[in-house]
Amino acid sequence: MTHPDLLILLVALPGIAFALLGILWLAGLHPSERLVRRFTGFIYSTASLLAIFLAVFSVPVYATLGDWFAIGEYRFPLSLTLDPLAVPFVVLTVLLTGLIGAFSARYLHRESGYLRFFLLLHLFAFGSLLLFTAGSLDLLLGGWELVGITSVFLVAFFHARPGPVSSATRIFAIYRSADIGLLLAIFALHHFAGTTEFAQLIQGPWLERSSSFAGSDALFTGFLLLLAAAGKSAQFPFTGWIPRAMEGPTPSSAIFYGAISVHAGTYLMLRLQPMLLNSTPITVALIFLGLLTAIISTLAGRSCPDAKSSLAFASVTQLGIIFVEIGFGFERLVLWHVAGHAAVRTLQFLRAPSALHEHHLMHAAAGGHLEPTGVHLEALIPTPLRAWLYRMAVDRGHLDTLIDKFVTLPVLAVAAWFHSLESRLVSTKLDDANESLPAALPTKSDA
Amino acid sequence: MSQHQERQFGSIPELLAHLAHYLPAQGPIGVFIHHNTLHAFQHLPFEQAVVEAGELFGAEPYMSEDAYRADLRRGRIRREDIDAVLAAEPNAEILPGRLDRTHLRTLLLRNPESHFDPATIQWRIEEGKLFTASESDLFHACLERVTTGPELHPSAPTRPRDGIFSRTGIDIDEEIHPLLIRLSAAYLDQGYAYWPMPLRERGFFAAALALLGQKLSLESGALSGLAAECRRQILMEFTPEESILNSLEFFAVPSGNFEEFLKAELLALPGWAGIFHQLEAHPQLAPHVRLPASLAAFLAVRLLLVRVATNNALSGEARLWRTTALVQRDDRLAKAARKFDTLRRLGLNATEVRATDPVAWAKLSAEIHACGPLEIRRLFHLAYERRHERQILLPLRTFRQSHPPQPIAEPPVAQVFFCIDEREESIRRHLEEIDPAIHTYGAAGFFGVAINYEGIDDAHAVDLCPVVVTPQHAVRERVPQHQEAHFARRQSLRRAWARFTHNGFIASRSLLRGWLATATVGAFSLLPLLVRVLTPRQYTRLRNLFNEIIVPRPETELSFTHSGEEEIHGLQFGFSIAEQADRVAGVLAGAGLASNFSSLVFVLGHGSTSLNNPHESAHDCGACGGRRGGPNGRLFAAMANHPDVRAALVSRGIEIPSSTWFVGGYHDTCSDDVELYDLHYLPEALRPQFDRVRASLDKARAASAHERARRFEFAASARTFDAALLHVEERSDHLAEPRPEYGHCTNSVCFVGRRETTRGLFFDRRAFLVSYDASIDPDAVYLGRQLGAVVPVCGGISLEYYFSFVDNERYGCGTKLPHNVTGLIGVMNGQSSDLRTGLPWQMVEIHEPVRILFVVEATEAAILKTIDSNATIAEFVVNRWIRLAALHPESGAISVYRDGVFEPLQGEPQDLPVAAASADWYRGRMEHLPVARILASEVHAS
Repeated sequence: MTHPDLLILLVALPGIAFALLGILWLAGLHPSERLVRRFTGFIYSTASLLAIFLAVFSVPVYATLGDWFAIGEYRFPLSLTLDPLAVPFVVLTVLLTGLIGAFSARYLHRESGYLRFFLLLHLFAFGSLLLFTAGSLDLLLGGWELVGITSVFLVAFFHARPGPVSSATRIFAIYRSADIGLLLAIFALHHFAGTTEFAQLIQGPWLERSSSFAGSDALFTGFLLLLAAAGKSAQFPFTGWIPRAMEGPTPSSAIFYGAISVHAGTYLMLRLQPMLLNSTPITVALIFLGLLTAIISTLAGRSCPDAKSSLAFASVTQLGIIFVEIGFGFERLVLWHVAGHAAVRTLQFLRAPSALHEHHLMHAAAGGHLEPTGVHLEALIPTPLRAWLYRMAVDRGHLDTLIDKFVTLPVLAVAAWFHSLESRLVSTKLDDANESLPAALPTKSDA
Repeated sequence: MSQHQERQFGSIPELLAHLAHYLPAQGPIGVFIHHNTLHAFQHLPFEQAVVEAGELFGAEPYMSEDAYRADLRRGRIRREDIDAVLAAEPNAEILPGRLDRTHLRTLLLRNPESHFDPATIQWRIEEGKLFTASESDLFHACLERVTTGPELHPSAPTRPRDGIFSRTGIDIDEEIHPLLIRLSAAYLDQGYAYWPMPLRERGFFAAALALLGQKLSLESGALSGLAAECRRQILMEFTPEESILNSLEFFAVPSGNFEEFLKAELLALPGWAGIFHQLEAHPQLAPHVRLPASLAAFLAVRLLLVRVATNNALSGEARLWRTTALVQRDDRLAKAARKFDTLRRLGLNATEVRATDPVAWAKLSAEIHACGPLEIRRLFHLAYERRHERQILLPLRTFRQSHPPQPIAEPPVAQVFFCIDEREESIRRHLEEIDPAIHTYGAAGFFGVAINYEGIDDAHAVDLCPVVVTPQHAVRERVPQHQEAHFARRQSLRRAWARFTHNGFIASRSLLRGWLATATVGAFSLLPLLVRVLTPRQYTRLRNLFNEIIVPRPETELSFTHSGEEEIHGLQFGFSIAEQADRVAGVLAGAGLASNFSSLVFVLGHGSTSLNNPHESAHDCGACGGRRGGPNGRLFAAMANHPDVRAALVSRGIEIPSSTWFVGGYHDTCSDDVELYDLHYLPEALRPQFDRVRASLDKARAASAHERARRFEFAASARTFDAALLHVEERSDHLAEPRPEYGHCTNSVCFVGRRETTRGLFFDRRAFLVSYDASIDPDAVYLGRQLGAVVPVCGGISLEYYFSFVDNERYGCGTKLPHNVTGLIGVMNGQSSDLRTGLPWQMVEIHEPVRILFVVEATEAAILKTIDSNATIAEFVVNRWIRLAALHPESGAISVYRDGVFEPLQGEPQDLPVAAASADWYRGRMEHLPVARILASEVHAS
């Protein structure tokens, strides 16, 4: 096999795993836990070896899958790329998914949703690999949506309780809203630049990349892309969904919100960095958004007394900084930061259920006296302001309220107005048609 | 029921003190004490309590009918059990000559009832699919005779949420709970959050008012006006109680309804309300930070949020919540359907139904109604427990008759004390199988020494004794003088490690330090991640090796001899010689070991170590207050080895030969590790004998691990004893393992008596084994003490498992997988839920929910006397929270306690299954196994 074929195989492996298990399930066969466990182990051991092999021996690799369709001169080519930018993301995805698979085989043992979890995990890995190796935004969108939908289903994993379901619904709504940005950006790029292929939009080798796409077109597209990335990476004002995502099983929290899924937004920004940075307003917005997110999240996280929300906000804090780094054009630093952050957070999430045990050991080793926290720099803030900041932190920066008040409610109001308009119109029509009917029909007030 | 009680409460604090009984009694989860989940109902008979509590908490009283029916199909319940249970219930004639109650109930229990709800019946009648013509006739005959009963009274809502929900469809709980939960968690946080809640030293109410009263905070629509209301209450200088009264006035609650209203509000988030109450009543339970916790403050804040939300939801017309009637379903169709279903099976037709005279119909109707789904489950449950009783008592009787306990001629090779815990049953049995010359004993795992203890590695002193006891004696682990330099070095390294870890914890989460940590060295955590997930045992091995090299544990000794005046924190330091002798004598004589000592006596405490397990402490020793009992075993041995104590013991009737040596130790029930203490003091002459016993102990723990592994699907590869030991060690070290051990999951029996009576029987880790010898206790003094200690402990464990199993969502805490450790005091489901109390599904999933069966080897008279003299035992026994049987110490006859009297055990003698060794009996089987005779562990009466 040639290297491009190996790349295609690498991306396809989790997809094949998903398809095979899915077909078994649809056929009414319930594969045993043992089979699922071994199969998953095999898939990700192979994928990890492949990814490392490709990363070491043949970066960059390009693989073309032909055209999606072509109209005259205009083509929608589908291609996969493994370049120095994609390598860390791809390697982390297969390694961590394999680890999470091994972890979950134990963690979810005897759980009724065992197979469902693994199906979603495979689909997620497939989506992520597609996202990180896509040669164009068109293909990237496919991976992006798979990652989004698996994320939502895993948050709703315990669907017998209302909490996870309502959280998942909210996350779904936020993803959908933000993804409008990506979809529109794709339209815009096809319109303005005639392509969404990264090779066409961005020129030059890694670390010396540049883009000729600039001006108001780039500004417009850039804002749409930023909207998409902010949704996926829980940046301001979308940050409120991240603690809600903690309803799912711990291993999925680890890989989605500690490691891979939340970094997808940073990947998108990094991938198109030269193009985005051509526009000063976008650069400023990136930095400002990242900074704002980091500050609000670190405050909210500091007030979180529960293990998982605390980690969720810690995660977003670093994501905010990564956005800032992207705004400043630090490409190599961003990659280090993403890789380091993903590794740290995954381990921390997996240790979250052992928080009590670990705290007990630490407390005993300290002789019962841990340094008090939150009393050093915080003491410099005047008391009234501290109380106000804490109030804001406890309400997680009021971000959910902000969205509800200024987006959800107005949208609902508009929808309600249309609804009443519709029923008025319909009832007028009905009245016209029903004039001949007897008037003695029971009405609601009689009942 | 409580609303019918004519009780008046003078003030809010009094009322709250009463209402607090309905809240979960679980403290911070780091120390988990098993107790009867329905402790507040223990003054009622069991069957009544489960129903009343079920109504109050919306919980199930028994398993589901389907579950019992499945047990009936697979033979776990037999038809003879149903017959026997019904025969014991009062009978009555229903239709003279045709039907009596027993007949009716037999019919209902044996045949599954069709489940009907009115909407389905209506629809299926309309579709014409429900009945054949004759059936339809019968159904209509039933329907004609079903009265609508008392007029349907629209019930008034008990709390605003219900009224508002039925009026507007808005669930205000969804609006207020996230904020209330976050505030409560942040307030009670024991040091997990970086930023402690400002002003929390002033109490929850004041802190919450100050925070929520902040100006310029964005308020959601549902809670708009919250800040203004808080500022008003601050201005009024309300205490929490005044605020509650003010809110009650706001909601226009009549004073007669205060109890009902506040109870409903508290039970909306019982876990959080409960933890506030626990920390108020027992501030010492707070693991790290003592705060002024108060249930009144929690309730005041809750009502404050409810009133703001109510005001917004009802657009200012807050009082409207009470005037909304809750809709009640008309159940006439369902009633008719049940009658139809029953009568059809009785073979009655429509004409006969119509011809039945009103009096007879009323009787029939009442009988069918009385044997509703709940009653059916109660009867099934009794049948389910009866089968269990017979599975235990019949084999025990057979065995006891063929193997009367032999007097022991010469001292055994060793006598080994374990905790009474049913998890120790397997290791005891295996130890006896491996070396039949070893005898084992069971005593409550604190071994009579109630101590306040601090080891060299502990953060602070803790109480190692049952929770109902307050220790009066402090004991400390000390480092001998020649080790002090070494110890100081070790301590400073440990402090440094703690600082490093704590910094890492904070740094990785904060903004700038987090940046440095993750962007620079972050990628290196990939290595521990890989090792910990893929080979957890290697990780532990490496860590232990590392500790061994860097910070080896110094030699230590216990400091426990009281020398005059010394005190620590108001506690007497150590025990005087007389006190030590009392404790040693109490345990030894209580267990029936007053003479015939071996030259080696082992005393093993126990505990459990695991990761991924916020409920870790629930696996520790209950007799040590949910902690690990190693120090108690060590202390007991040290006391019993003291020459002065031995001298003092002589006057207490116990003569320990000078050649006898006691060895203290610790058994980890999760990893099956056994650690023995102070071996450097062991007399050299005993070394060969010690080595033999140590080797047997090692084999026994591997065999016990093997027996445990049979229950774990994941342990398929653990075929040999050694592989099983590795397997359970891995369970203890695995970050992902939700079932490190099954804990008390299999508990169902408590045997109080001589080990010789049960030795040689396979109890499948299901029996607590309490050593007691009636022959040296003519006045039943020790019996009273033993039962006084073990009935509440074992009864509490049994009932906690019972309730957590029958309703795992309400009484237990559901599946562990979404659990989120909160504030170091408990777990929530996901990011925002009530604080979950009770046991998780993974801990109870293989449990058989039966009330524990006590079998006491003593005369009926002695047992009845003990019950009479101890109100706690009496409550457990008389109200049927536990089951009780007596085994006569001399004749071996068994009788069962039923409503105040002992009745002889009925039934023909049965043959006991026999196996050469335990492993032959359980190998390859996962289910609960019947009692069997194990030849290898029988005492050879040679």
